[in-house]
Amino acid sequence: MPKRIKKIVIVGGGTAGWLTAGLLAVRFNHADSDVSVTLVESPDVPIIGVGEGTWPSMRTTLQEIGVAESDFLRQCDASFKQGSKFVGWEKADDSFYYHPFSLPESYSEINLADHWQAHRDQVSFANAVGAQSLICEHGLAPKQITTPEYAFNLNYGYHLDAGKFAQFLAEHCTNKLGVIHVLANVNQVLADDNNCLTELKCDTGKTVVGDFFIDCTGFHAKLIEGHYRVDKTSLKQYLFNDSALAVQVPHPEKDSGIESCTLGTAMSCGWVWDIALPTRRGIGYVHSSDFIDEDQASAELYGYLQKAGCAPNQSDYAPRKISFSPNKRESFWVKNCVAIGLSAGFVEPLEASALVLVETAAKFLRDNMPAHQSGLEPIARRYNTMMHRHWADIVDFLKLHYVLTQRDNEYWTKHKAEETIPDSLSENLALWSVATPWHLDTPHIDALFPAASYQYVLYGMNHRTELDPNWLVPKQRRWADALFQKNIQRVRDLSSALPTNRELLEKVQQYGFQSI
Amino acid sequence: MSNFQLLSPELHKDLRVITEHSVELGDGVRAVQTFPFEFRSVQGHYPIFLQKDAETGQFQCMAMLGFEEGENLFLEAGRWTASYVPLMIKRQPFLIGFQSSAESAEKKPVVTIDMDNPRVSKESGEPLFLEHGGQSEFLQESISRLEYIHQAHEHANEFVAHLLELNLIEAFTLEITMEDGSSNQLHGFYTVNEEKVKELSGDQFATMNERGFLQPLFMMLASHSCVGSLVRLKGLKDKAA
Repeated sequence: MPKRIKKIVIVGGGTAGWLTAGLLAVRFNHADSDVSVTLVESPDVPIIGVGEGTWPSMRTTLQEIGVAESDFLRQCDASFKQGSKFVGWEKADDSFYYHPFSLPESYSEINLADHWQAHRDQVSFANAVGAQSLICEHGLAPKQITTPEYAFNLNYGYHLDAGKFAQFLAEHCTNKLGVIHVLANVNQVLADDNNCLTELKCDTGKTVVGDFFIDCTGFHAKLIEGHYRVDKTSLKQYLFNDSALAVQVPHPEKDSGIESCTLGTAMSCGWVWDIALPTRRGIGYVHSSDFIDEDQASAELYGYLQKAGCAPNQSDYAPRKISFSPNKRESFWVKNCVAIGLSAGFVEPLEASALVLVETAAKFLRDNMPAHQSGLEPIARRYNTMMHRHWADIVDFLKLHYVLTQRDNEYWTKHKAEETIPDSLSENLALWSVATPWHLDTPHIDALFPAASYQYVLYGMNHRTELDPNWLVPKQRRWADALFQKNIQRVRDLSSALPTNRELLEKVQQYGFQSI
Repeated sequence: MSNFQLLSPELHKDLRVITEHSVELGDGVRAVQTFPFEFRSVQGHYPIFLQKDAETGQFQCMAMLGFEEGENLFLEAGRWTASYVPLMIKRQPFLIGFQSSAESAEKKPVVTIDMDNPRVSKESGEPLFLEHGGQSEFLQESISRLEYIHQAHEHANEFVAHLLELNLIEAFTLEITMEDGSSNQLHGFYTVNEEKVKELSGDQFATMNERGFLQPLFMMLASHSCVGSLVRLKGLKDKAA
């Protein structure tokens, strides 16, 4: 008799745990369901709170679990994120480029990267193919107060307070979606003869029985490592960063503009993230301890804060240190246990891949969870294949940001050394010196980064693709030029219609978005 | 722009208010806010829809007076041609303001007057105050109208919130074929979805009835037939022009 999966148990109550709980609970939250979702959370372990930037996928996720967007924005101190702005990556100066969330105009039909090459001295790639980069540069919001919740003029995700977000999701999941919340430390993990997990013994004396377990215990990896002893694969030969120094500072002025992009500014041995929420900025220096010591990194970060006009007094300046080893699990799913979030792996937060991986993982479970334990093995194999592919894509795409630099100190030069570049990326880079990235370079339908993302970074970093103009089809070239013209008008129209990011966030506080 | 002052017998002793209706007097508007309290009177003349306020994104009930920006089809030779003039037109140039006092934290409603409103005059129109002190009948009526609007406003907000809660509001595009055969699409309109109204339970209808929402809901739906009258009015005006 195959064993039905009826009790799903999530261990860990950070954003990974609660997002997973929410997405699964919605799936099983109907009158005829006999499946329960339980989340066991330690009252003693604080959440790491990484992941303060999301992808646009988070709009769909929140909508799917039945959250009102205005409630989320208000309670999680959230703001709109329209992409990333990279400063000083090509050269050690103030030059910058955008990786906006919106795809280039008519992206499914025409490759504008081909046709932009002829205009590359006049206009940046992002500014030519879409409106979003200039809208961000003007400090404007991605929508109006009359736009319904989750709808947009320009695609967006969020910046948020990770601690408040976990709290918000916890309340929503327990009050609205019927997730059972157990506050306890797990002392012992028990498994059956087949090494499938069966129950958790808690310090409160309580036993939590389950048919399927999800390890969201962060770096502790209580199930995947603690029980199953699955090793990690280091990614440090590609991505050297292993430390971060983080601070939270107030805005320079009460009414300072709120950037609707994550600012990523290159430093001597890494880069600084700068995330603006309505009430504060979260700023941190991600670096490699092999190249710079903590004191030097701390001084460099202080220099950034001074330049940004939001440095605290030296005596109050005490950045929080976070150490990590860039790695992923050798397997993410074993038997009836899957690791989601930091327990599955972690690399530097460039391009904010942490939360989107959680969403991807949870949605896979929601859509593919077999009803019986006997169906687990093939699903686990597919899941592991998919996740390894996503991790390989993440490594390639993050690495791309480094390999085109002209910065010439040891840290940056080493990033360009052949042995530190994945073969898959080297092969693509060779291709992209004579062809622009296009759909077949990212052949999977569920690829995290579309070819457009590669285009934004490559041409933002001023990469030369040698295209013979005669290679292009004249009819397509005329179409492309018309789209470039149309975009200029669109920027004008949007600039006059959109409020500033701060104005819109204040209106959300006061009035909120309508559901239609 | 507007310049509201707290109405006072000392400051505004000599003021009068012109009661005619014209574009020059500020009545050239395509639509005006309306309230469920007055739907019964409004629905026979003007189509009632919901629209979002551009500043706040909040839904408001609007009575439609024309099709184009600034077009009010109910103005003619200083007169309002329909027998019922919407409250928010009639209240001009007065508005309720809110003043906090030393005694209580609660803000008290007060009568204010927009000194930049073209209706405000020293030469012609209805006097506000009597020669030997005291309010004129016109002013007394205006003040009680403001009080009524104040209540109507709160009731309207509850009405809209209730419709939203029941998921009854839907966006639609108003497609108009004019008498000259030209057609126009007007966007940004919302109304009540009749199919969803039919699906409401008896209890839900009873609640709406108790709260005074049921009658205006149907008044609003009935008012949509006035779009045809507006088209005819426009046809007549265009021919005359």
